[in-house]
Amino acid sequence: MKIGLAPSTIRSWLLAALALAAATIGMLAVRSSLDRAHVALVYLLIVLCGSAVGGRALGVALAALSFFLFNYFFLPPYRTVAVANPLDWLVLAAFLVTSVIAAQLLDRAQERAAAAERHANEVARLSALGVETLNAVRAEEALGAIADVIRSTLDVDRCEVYVAARDPAAATSLRVMAVARRPGIAGEVGDVTRGRASVAGGESDSLMTWVAEHGHAMAERLDGTSRIASRIAPRLGGRGWPRDAEKDGDTAPPGDAIAGLETWHDAADTRSLAIPLQVRGRTVGVLRIANAAGLTLRPDQHQFLSALAYYAALGVERSRLTAEAERAEALREVDRLRSAFLASVSHDLRTPLTSIKAIANTIASSGDERAAVIEEEADRLNRFVADLLDLSRLSGGALRLQPELETADDLIGAARERVRALPGGRRIEVVGHDAGGVLVGRFDFVHSLHVLVNLLENASRYAPPDTPIEISVERGGDVLRFTVSDRGPGIPEHDRERVFEPFYSAAHGRPSDSGSAGLGLSIARGLAEAQGGALRYEPRPGGGSVFVFELPAADVHEEF
Amino acid sequence: MSRILEETPSPSDPGGSGGRQPSILVIEDEPRVRQAVREALAGDANRLLEAGDGAEGLLAAESHRPDLVVLDLGLPDRDGFEVLRALRRWSSVPIIVLTARHADDDKVRLLDAGADDYVTKPFSSAELRARVHAQLRRARMTPLPGGDVPVAVGDLTIDLARRRVTRAGEAVHLTPTEWGLLETLLEHAGRPVTHRQLFSAVWGNASGDAQHYLRVYVAHLRRKLEADPYNPRRILTEPGVGYRLELDEPATPAAPG
Repeated sequence: MKIGLAPSTIRSWLLAALALAAATIGMLAVRSSLDRAHVALVYLLIVLCGSAVGGRALGVALAALSFFLFNYFFLPPYRTVAVANPLDWLVLAAFLVTSVIAAQLLDRAQERAAAAERHANEVARLSALGVETLNAVRAEEALGAIADVIRSTLDVDRCEVYVAARDPAAATSLRVMAVARRPGIAGEVGDVTRGRASVAGGESDSLMTWVAEHGHAMAERLDGTSRIASRIAPRLGGRGWPRDAEKDGDTAPPGDAIAGLETWHDAADTRSLAIPLQVRGRTVGVLRIANAAGLTLRPDQHQFLSALAYYAALGVERSRLTAEAERAEALREVDRLRSAFLASVSHDLRTPLTSIKAIANTIASSGDERAAVIEEEADRLNRFVADLLDLSRLSGGALRLQPELETADDLIGAARERVRALPGGRRIEVVGHDAGGVLVGRFDFVHSLHVLVNLLENASRYAPPDTPIEISVERGGDVLRFTVSDRGPGIPEHDRERVFEPFYSAAHGRPSDSGSAGLGLSIARGLAEAQGGALRYEPRPGGGSVFVFELPAADVHEEF
Repeated sequence: MSRILEETPSPSDPGGSGGRQPSILVIEDEPRVRQAVREALAGDANRLLEAGDGAEGLLAAESHRPDLVVLDLGLPDRDGFEVLRALRRWSSVPIIVLTARHADDDKVRLLDAGADDYVTKPFSSAELRARVHAQLRRARMTPLPGGDVPVAVGDLTIDLARRRVTRAGEAVHLTPTEWGLLETLLEHAGRPVTHRQLFSAVWGNASGDAQHYLRVYVAHLRRKLEADPYNPRRILTEPGVGYRLELDEPATPAAPG
């Protein structure tokens, strides 16, 4: 990566120079008995050794020097650069070309061998990581290992893995999952999460969140400014890995996904790079590598980074799924507890109510009016328990719906069966709609009956004695519209929505001795809405209330 | 389990002179509820047997051969459904189930498993008494209503043999489907019939559009037989379960308070 004068380089140059000098002196001593070919071969040997040890530069330097020494000492006239026999020029030229080419070839072969070794190492590391990613008990451990390998392989100061979480308000937050640092470097490199990203679409709180939100890689310059690694973004992650990887879903490691970095890596003023981690086209996290001295990557390192980034993405996704599964398990447990609680409350409250009500009813039938009061109160308590259970099911989403093709006839008939006896000469009348056919809807009968009975009982509480409570039903477009009307006092305008709040009447001084716990209307609305219907209040012309209860209508294509 | 069955001789009919007293077995674990059932039923010349759990109940049913069983669904030793099925394996005794569960598919399951009727806790003693009477009377009745003799109820006469129905003296025309429904309801008169029982009786086991329209057919039948289809007195809706044909004159509703 870096070319400098390392001690090992100086040593190999010195050694080569010594070898050249020794060979030259040795050959001078026996020059009379030497052929040109001997000299050429000895020098060629030194050039090859030199380039093997010191690389191409040393090899070429040795070739040039040998060329001069060959000419100067071993081609007559000696100790001049001139050459007596013109054919000797040919020998010299052949020597020079041969030695330079040999040096080049040797160097290239060595480079290939080194690259192959690096590659083998990386493959071994990747497969080890793959196994680790799959086996690690906690995804965090696997991510830590991945960050470690990336950092040490790319020889950078830091490697960090962040997991992205989107809250309901669509704001992205990042949480550090794993950090690997170069030993001895504690501090931060670059501005990670503080400050605002000074880039296009700079709404984000930081460079990192910007990357997570937009799914583009981002490079940070040494001077602290940022830029989109725009030319790499589409390949690196952008909206996706390369086409063929996308096609195979997330299982295909994105081979050359990061190849676009080649256009970027020569920008040596970069100190950190943030890459979106994506699974199935969704950004699940961000990987950041940083190096205070600048960041330059070889093509094979890009590939390595790309593959590892993919592993990291899988790790982040896995940790998310694990957390989700744990949450779902917890919710199931809560749900199970809720059901058990409801069943227990239902049983434990209803058992004593059963004996109270039945015995009170027996006594009442022998003429004791006080027993009738006990029975009524038991009924009231039972309704309240039922309401509480319903409210709990509604709010917990545990309400079970069984929508069927049902008739308005059945619903109204069953509701009147439930509220057969009304006190004080109040009576129920069904108005309108006699000529029409049977009206049909698709709804849950039991819950809808509960709503209608609730409305009738509510109306009977407020209707003046000797006035009718009117039920009507009609088909209006896609809905069956039931109305329950009374001639009671009605509801003042500012309370018309609030009557549907739980415990409204108890808190607002409507007659609470009438058996209402203030749950009825809120439950009724909940039950109506749960099955795609609606419940609302309307003032009645001429005084009183109208409750409009709508249910999904259905069509019957059949002759009767 | 060695608790001795209590027998409560009915005080109103000490000698048992008016024919055999019907015996009723109550299988219920809660002593108070058992007491409530006892008080509800004791006044009507019934002999009561009581059992506190399922095993005891099954034993008592076998050794005493009661005329009716009142069975609680929530028993300590085994599920009420299990007791119900065990009883049904050898006995056709009328069974009324006490259920604290409000889930209606439970009621449907009960009826499908062979229960004749159910009473939801908390119940009034009058309600329980009425159901028990209906079952006892039905068990005594032979032949089934509508077999040979026309059934007359209120202003309605149903003559199954001649396939004739009149309301207030006027002939009512019924379609074949409506006849099928009426026959099935009559066969189970006084008892709830589930939707499934109804449509398998009328349409066989064929599944088709017809079964979805069951309720629509019933609505049409009701419009022909009831004076006020929105206030039915004969074909009553059992919410979430099915229908019940009521042949008794409705009891006078309790005086409004």
